[in-house]
Amino acid sequence: MTAARTALEIGERALPALVVAAFFAAWEIFVRARGIPAIYLPPPSSIAVYLWRMIADGSLAINLGVTLLRIFGGFAIAGLAGVALGVLMGMSRLVARVADPWIAALYPLPKIALIPLLLIWLGTGEAYKIVISAVTAFFPIVISTYAGIREVDRGLMKAAEDLGASRRQVQLKVVIPAAIPSIFAGLHLGMGVTIILVIAAEMIGGSSTSGMGYLLMQAGQVMETEKVFADLVVLAVVGALVVKLQRWIDRKVAPWSH
Amino acid sequence: MWPGRGGADIVALEQFSHRFASRRFSCLLGPSGCGKSTLLQIVGGLEKPTSGTIRIADPASPSLARPLGADSVMVWQNLNLFPWRTVLDNVAFGLEMRGVPKAERQRRSRALVGSVGLAGFEHFLPGQLSGGMRQRVALARALVLERPILLMDEPFAALDAQTKIIMQEELAYIVERTHKTVLFVTHAIEEAILLGDEVVVMSARPGRIKEVLPVDLPRPRSLEMVNTKAFGALFDHAFHLIREEVMASMKQQERALSGA
Repeated sequence: MTAARTALEIGERALPALVVAAFFAAWEIFVRARGIPAIYLPPPSSIAVYLWRMIADGSLAINLGVTLLRIFGGFAIAGLAGVALGVLMGMSRLVARVADPWIAALYPLPKIALIPLLLIWLGTGEAYKIVISAVTAFFPIVISTYAGIREVDRGLMKAAEDLGASRRQVQLKVVIPAAIPSIFAGLHLGMGVTIILVIAAEMIGGSSTSGMGYLLMQAGQVMETEKVFADLVVLAVVGALVVKLQRWIDRKVAPWSH
Repeated sequence: MWPGRGGADIVALEQFSHRFASRRFSCLLGPSGCGKSTLLQIVGGLEKPTSGTIRIADPASPSLARPLGADSVMVWQNLNLFPWRTVLDNVAFGLEMRGVPKAERQRRSRALVGSVGLAGFEHFLPGQLSGGMRQRVALARALVLERPILLMDEPFAALDAQTKIIMQEELAYIVERTHKTVLFVTHAIEEAILLGDEVVVMSARPGRIKEVLPVDLPRPRSLEMVNTKAFGALFDHAFHLIREEVMASMKQQERALSGA
């Protein structure tokens, strides 16, 4: 009885991995059976070979490293500026009034549309890639932070006041900690768009000689489809790891919101 | 307005005045929406009255009034515990705001956490506790400040019946031991009579004091008292007063609805 149940449980846990394996097996068989040219759809086995080659010759480490540095650079700038302005807006009606029309006007603007302007101003170097990703990530972070600060439970603020907290203490000891889950939600969104914008910026014609976006673009231009797929696999895995890492940090910093 | 004696409070509401005597347990009983909670928040200095005055007489010199909120602390209906703070840090909050050094505020908070029966749960977050345990944290957080007046806004309304009985008994014991002055808002007649030295029955909107029932049942009281004659008489009297008010408030609502 219990043995049957544990067997069932193990089966349930293994199922997602089995489905993934089955998917790749089906892909491999389909490509080989139909004799589809690798230039259109390479079999998973040759994608794996290319991936291994990129790992072995160090090109993956270098390009992934460069891309990650750009992502974290842009994200750090957007995070610091966005949280700071969001908190200030939440605390001061004056700051909120002044900042609000700017955010309302600039938030819906597709930030990719700024690329030509940034290329004119900053050239094709590092500054342009970091600025475009930081500008894009800044908006969801500032909006989410501001909303979090504004939506703090009034009851908690009143309770703190009743227990003798000054206005300043209410803001530091109640409002900011209570807003942390919203601030983190904004940072999650910000991280997502930073990744998109850095890769996109690296892909823009000739603006880059390194990074995952550059590798992807280059492989595409010479029709090395296996390499394109290998790059996509790396980006998917890295993206998943970044999301996992953020969740882990969330649970460490704000365990009460889970 | 009556002059307060020995730290007594005076609450004026509409054209009615009431003196909540110090070291007495007063229950405010009334239909929902009669302004009981607002009254407590005004007494606690958290809301400003549009008119009228509230005086908390200084026990040292009764002619002087104490600033509102300085001598009282609230226990809220929805508790308002800080979800990111542990039990100990929730209890220590008031002392922390006052600038009490960490070692001392931890020592005092730990003692109170123990006295409400939560020893061993100091490092739990409110979200990890049951309703009754959270209620104890809220009580300890209020008591640690050692303010003479306790303002309680339907604190046990959300508890299950068994937990409620236990919490009522413990509250009565704590209040007796610490000589608190209590203003306790409730809409449960039984609870008001079991806990109070007096029951202030309030009328439906506009909130007025309808009648003040002194409760001179012996202490300590227990739930068995519900079956005694004295309790029954008080209950019936309060019930009839409340019924009139509930009917009146329902009529008001009906009129508001049909008018709309």
